[in-house]
Amino acid sequence: MRARLNGAPAKATSGLMDMHDTTDADGVDDPERALLHRYVQGDAAAARLLTLQLTPRIFGHAFRILGNAAEAEDVTQDALMRLWKIAPDWRDGEAKVTTWLYRVTANLCTDRLRKRGRGVPLEDIAEPTDPAESAEARLQRTAREDALQAALDRLPERQRQAVVLRHIDGLANPEIATILDVGVEAVESLTARGKRALAKLLGARRDALGYDDDKT
Amino acid sequence: MTKRETDTLEAHFEQARATPPQMPAGMMDRLIADALAAQPAPALGGWRGFWRAIGGAPALGGLITATAVGFWIGVAPPSGLPDVATQIITGGDDYIVADATSLDTYTSDLTAFGWDLDEG
Repeated sequence: MRARLNGAPAKATSGLMDMHDTTDADGVDDPERALLHRYVQGDAAAARLLTLQLTPRIFGHAFRILGNAAEAEDVTQDALMRLWKIAPDWRDGEAKVTTWLYRVTANLCTDRLRKRGRGVPLEDIAEPTDPAESAEARLQRTAREDALQAALDRLPERQRQAVVLRHIDGLANPEIATILDVGVEAVESLTARGKRALAKLLGARRDALGYDDDKT
Repeated sequence: MTKRETDTLEAHFEQARATPPQMPAGMMDRLIADALAAQPAPALGGWRGFWRAIGGAPALGGLITATAVGFWIGVAPPSGLPDVATQIITGGDDYIVADATSLDTYTSDLTAFGWDLDEG
């Protein structure tokens, strides 16, 4: 599926895409769309509500992909500014607001990763806290989060995006296909390969992360 | 993937979903400020809407100028234009029809009323 959704920027490697191939979100419930209409009419409450609803999702996604809060904030700010700019020209029926925003965010993250070069090597990430040295559950949780992020950072970019969108952001495969501008089968393949790689990376740390000490 | 690997991975995902990354301090306020700054002005109704529709204060100067020029052309027309104001005041009939007979003359070619008069 090749699509250009409401002017969403194309991936760095792809050319101009056909706007009319999009069939993603027709008829799909899209509560943000009504808020966007109110935003265009000058409703300040809608501006606040949209920002409050969209920001955590977009920032969370960007953080998982980039592994850096400052860069994730920049990307979130950039993506939202693009939404505000296109809002008066928003075309209903082309895509859900969140799908469009995830796509813009994914493309902005891709641009940053390519400028940055290779991702942060696992060796550069702080080692998880040794549970033998601390009984605090919070430390263990932090260690697991760090381990997941470190493992995500090791994945190839497209696998990382697919895994995060599917298993952390909780999106369905067809929506991920639209966001990544690939087919649903490609999404399934990317997700499966990404999960296998993650399992291998995390499996080596299973004991250190305390998975044998509790039910999780 | 073994069941053990799958369970471990799912536990990581579940924890990641339950504990989203913390946003930098003040980030939400900055983004809300961006959203409000970029927001189109609300549409206004009534006189305010009309005032904005005609262009607001900057357009008022143009409207006043056009009105004054139009009025002055009516009072003191340039040589190439008929002096409508004088004709109205003095009752001249070069261009303005002032009585019923003249009216017939001017309108007989155009109206049924004029034909009726011709027949009578």
